[in-house]
Amino acid sequence: MDKINTSRHISGKFNDELDAVRTQVMNMGGLVEQQLRDSLLAIENSDHDLAEQILQRDYKINALEVQIDEACVQIIAKRQPAASDLRLIIAIFKTIADLERMGDEAERIARVALESFNNDQQQFLVSLENLGQQVLAMLRGVLDAFARMDLDAAYEVHQMDAQADRQYEGLTRQLMTYMMEDPRGIPKVMNVLWSARSLERIGDRCQNIAEYIIFFVKGKDVRHVSPESMARTVGRSAPEADPKD
Amino acid sequence: MISVTPTTQEATQLDLENLSADQTALTINNLNLHYGEAQALYDISMAIPKNRVTAFIGPSGCGKSTLLRCINRMNDLVEICKVSGEIRLHDKNIYDKDVDVAALRRNIGMVFQRPNPFPKSIYENVVYGMRLQGVNDRRTLDEVVERSLKGAALWDEVKDRLSASAFSLSGGQQQRLVIARAIAIEPEVLLLDEPTSALDPISTLTIEELITELKEKYTVVIVTHNMQQAARVSDQTAFLYMGKLIEYADTNTLFTTPSNKQTEDYITGRYG
Repeated sequence: MDKINTSRHISGKFNDELDAVRTQVMNMGGLVEQQLRDSLLAIENSDHDLAEQILQRDYKINALEVQIDEACVQIIAKRQPAASDLRLIIAIFKTIADLERMGDEAERIARVALESFNNDQQQFLVSLENLGQQVLAMLRGVLDAFARMDLDAAYEVHQMDAQADRQYEGLTRQLMTYMMEDPRGIPKVMNVLWSARSLERIGDRCQNIAEYIIFFVKGKDVRHVSPESMARTVGRSAPEADPKD
Repeated sequence: MISVTPTTQEATQLDLENLSADQTALTINNLNLHYGEAQALYDISMAIPKNRVTAFIGPSGCGKSTLLRCINRMNDLVEICKVSGEIRLHDKNIYDKDVDVAALRRNIGMVFQRPNPFPKSIYENVVYGMRLQGVNDRRTLDEVVERSLKGAALWDEVKDRLSASAFSLSGGQQQRLVIARAIAIEPEVLLLDEPTSALDPISTLTIEELITELKEKYTVVIVTHNMQQAARVSDQTAFLYMGKLIEYADTNTLFTTPSNKQTEDYITGRYG
């Protein structure tokens, strides 16, 4: 909290407004994390009840997005934030849009959990679980980084996405092989593939949020820049080139 | 040459540390100013670019108005005021002994916080400076009045009542009249000391619009307490605090990513 310095405004009400909106973002992040974690559990345990609960809970995330949007609009209209305050509001605007979409992806995964899979197909769910844990770790990491506006933690999460991408590619190859061997299983396998795609997208969105955190702290837009340029911005040496990237 | 787009903030960024001679209107070097024992400005050095709007911001008593007044030697009127260092205009230090201060002030016009028209007609207010210079030819003066009032975005509102008293105008119109009076004698630099602080929001926007037009012909330096105004009208902004120049940068940069913590605290309304 200290890095953001929201408590030092001369206007105590402005401090309160910024703190309130940040608390709401953390609540929204917590909800999304719970949805993702539960959707992975629902798949792992074929827990249809849990999957149903996930579908019913998504509206809370959507409602929070609307509320936070409204609070940010009020702050812009009344306070005309500048410099780091302005960057914070912009980062929040963008972050909640990504969080809301992550919520939708978790809902999509929960729908797959409502299906039944035979023993052969269960093996893919294990691979899906691995990818899911990687992405869940990214989401936790990026929410922690957001709470503290921690540059290093944000960069770590950004780097984790390469691993998630590799797992996704591996899983895709595995699923394609299976579809070629047994075309009757294609409808089910396609569902697993969609879930994998959803997880991969959640990883990308965590990466986006990490970029907003870097934007807030450094004032530099690091979207669509080279890995070297991003490493320079956060004061690190460039990551080793990944032959697969 | 610098490319200037007058009505937007998209003017090309200048390297304020290394302005070329033809980009520079004024250069301030190691300027110190004392009022008696008290030092009001500490070692100010900066270059003010030509045909651009430069804003000075900072809390009350930070020295921004004092610095502005140094630029046309208004501080000479304060007896206990001592200035060291230099302000160069066309490679000439304006504090040199042989400088004609009246001529300097013709070249560097100034507009104050409260509109101060003379108790004369609108027409006579505009041509006042010309008459002082001994110009009395009616046709020349008519031309100057039309050009200046158009330049100050006031012509359409007053062209049918040029002989009316300047006091019959509204506050915002009076301020534009004063600007017309300042540009009638074609100065190079226009100093604006909180030109809109006594005006309502609509008149303020009219003046702000005018400022962005004025920079096509003049170099504008503006002191303002209204940070949003500095952000809207200026191309570069200087933040002063306790008589020191803390940060001087391109306006877009200063208001989104200031590099100095004191600047950040001031523009975001935090305790210093």
